[in-house]
Amino acid sequence: MDRRTALRLLSAGAAVTAGTDLEAWGRGLHRGLGLGAPLRVLDEHQNATVVALCDAILPATDTPGAVAAQVNVFIDLLLADWYDAADRDRFLAGLAGLDGRARAAFGKDFVDGTPADRTNLLTALDDEAARWNANPAATRGPQPFYRQMKWLTLFGYYTSEIGAEQEQHYQIVPGRYVPCAPADTAITPE
Amino acid sequence: MPKSWDAIVVGSGMTGGWAAKELTEAGLNTLVLEAGRMVTTADYVEHVPPWQVRFRGLDDRRARAAEQPVQQECYACDEWSSKFFVNDHENPYTTPADKPFLFLRGRQVGGRSIMWGRQTYRWSDLDFEANLKDGIAVDWPIRYADIAPWYDHVERFVGVSGEKLGLPQLPDGQFLPPMELNCGETVVRDAVARHWPGERVLTIGRCAILTEDHDDRKACHYCGYCERGCITRSYFSSINATLPAARLTGKLTLRPHSVVHSLIYDHRRNRVTGVRVIDGETKHAIEFSARLVFLCASALESARILLNSATPEFPDGLANSSGELGHNLMDHIMGGGASGKIEAPADRMPVGRRPNGIYLPRFRNLPGRPKSPFLRGYAYQGGGDREGWGRGTDLPGFGADWKRALRDPGPWHFSFYGFGECLPRHENFVAIDKDTKDAWGVPALRIHCAYGDNEWALMQDASIAAAEMLAAAGARDISPFVEHNPPGKAIHEMGTARMGRDPKTSVLNAHNQAHDIPNLFVTDGACMTSSANQNPSITYMALTARACAYAVDLIKKREL
Repeated sequence: MDRRTALRLLSAGAAVTAGTDLEAWGRGLHRGLGLGAPLRVLDEHQNATVVALCDAILPATDTPGAVAAQVNVFIDLLLADWYDAADRDRFLAGLAGLDGRARAAFGKDFVDGTPADRTNLLTALDDEAARWNANPAATRGPQPFYRQMKWLTLFGYYTSEIGAEQEQHYQIVPGRYVPCAPADTAITPE
Repeated sequence: MPKSWDAIVVGSGMTGGWAAKELTEAGLNTLVLEAGRMVTTADYVEHVPPWQVRFRGLDDRRARAAEQPVQQECYACDEWSSKFFVNDHENPYTTPADKPFLFLRGRQVGGRSIMWGRQTYRWSDLDFEANLKDGIAVDWPIRYADIAPWYDHVERFVGVSGEKLGLPQLPDGQFLPPMELNCGETVVRDAVARHWPGERVLTIGRCAILTEDHDDRKACHYCGYCERGCITRSYFSSINATLPAARLTGKLTLRPHSVVHSLIYDHRRNRVTGVRVIDGETKHAIEFSARLVFLCASALESARILLNSATPEFPDGLANSSGELGHNLMDHIMGGGASGKIEAPADRMPVGRRPNGIYLPRFRNLPGRPKSPFLRGYAYQGGGDREGWGRGTDLPGFGADWKRALRDPGPWHFSFYGFGECLPRHENFVAIDKDTKDAWGVPALRIHCAYGDNEWALMQDASIAAAEMLAAAGARDISPFVEHNPPGKAIHEMGTARMGRDPKTSVLNAHNQAHDIPNLFVTDGACMTSSANQNPSITYMALTARACAYAVDLIKKREL
């Protein structure tokens, strides 16, 4: 739901009748807007883990990173309303598996590790994902959780307003087609 | 609303818009009946960025699977534009289990001209003479000289950008300046020209998108998502161009929510006298009458209307004394090609989203060249571009340096994607499925259609030839492919009321007029006697304008 639709609904008295649970109705509307939305699938610890992963994969640099772009909220939306139940459960199991790897590597849950602990573990997982990707498609199993998380972080970030406009200099109306522009132009391809 | 008109046009899309424009400009009071809702430029969403749609372009897959399981097979039926495609439950059709067919439909004012691919290629006599020379189906009753002035006529109004090549198999037209190839595409163009001089030519797509202001429409601003609409009316559609022109005459009445059930036939006068309509909203039956009826509802819908209009005189469907109504269904076969990484300038990249690709015209089975082990030929669309952030998933690393690296464009890629001619075959046909009705109670179609060996041979050859051209251009990681798409996927369905010289073997004459009933015209894809391999819309448009002029002339001579 976009802001305009929400405002129209809010101003449409007919949508709110006697007996409507106004608080729940308002929460639902808020969810649709994605503004400071309560999470629907991720619990506090899972969310903290997703936020830490987003921050490690696409941190704030000279532009804001995946945390500022609220990629965790977008991932929660996909888990709630986009993925099948089996895929959602596989993702959540992947988060738990990450903690398992973390405890084996440095004796704590992922979010409780030092920055160096986390970087070392993610470096190992990144290598494993690269080996998975290098295997012929016919022989490799399902993609590792880390690779799925990497894709979700990328997609959530570059399709956000922050990622598209500040990092990528995305122009909704380019106004022209320059077939052979210098590649060091500020605009990166999609 | 009056109930009698000079002309009724069924359908408001690509050809209905042209019939409306030509008939009203000739002074005929014209009623355009559209099954779906009104669409205006207020429905356009091409500038809504991903972060303003709920799933950022991944689409509401649960809703789509529930309501549009067929329509979602079209790339354009996405989170922005699914509203321009029908609900599959309201609009059912059936097929035999072993003959899947994708019936991809837009029912609204503008029809599929809102989401069409905009590629615009003339036919030549290679195409109009093909059936006669090959002994396939029946001969076209027209030749290029008959349609050439009408290509000129519609192209001047449509606004077609493209490069003149002087090729006999792909005649030049009335072109606006072409869009430009990027510097990856010129690498492949030059390699093709070096290795196959005089045989294969790579050019920018000829498309119905304005590269400069044209009449009251603005030049393209390269936002890239034409299928979501266009607030500057830079690409051609009926709502961007022909319907506004028809409205200016003061002779147009456009009635949305008008589901045509069937035509009304007066056997004593041998004329269609009107149209039976189910109001899309109230579901009440209404009748409208006219001196002249143009069916422009799409190849399958126009055939369906005629099949649903059977009378004692025409028990197998109106205007079907030939028995060919509903038969000879064709759709271009597509999806034989190859892709690869090419060596192109690393310090260059395209900026802006060009809503158009490359075109490589047919080069197989041309006169004076060796014969291929198949009939007819294919052409390629496709293009070159650099990888963007999407490559990050499998780009090793993460963190600040990795994020910085993704700002730079990735490797250059190029792909060739073939579109092949589909031969007309009597056994590819549609009939009424008496057990299946749409949401308005109109009996639905049962579609029997499959590609044959010739179509698959074309795509096999297209895959191999594409890989050869990429290799000649120095490409690496070349992946040849042949997609196994069911017919319907190219959305170029045609042939179900073909034109021909003989009333015994064709439904329409050389002017899209029914052989059996003189005031009935069919000018959408149903009229096509063969399919060629070119995207067909501009040919439908030219035939529509030509048929309108003919019908108006008959009225003036009081022969109708």
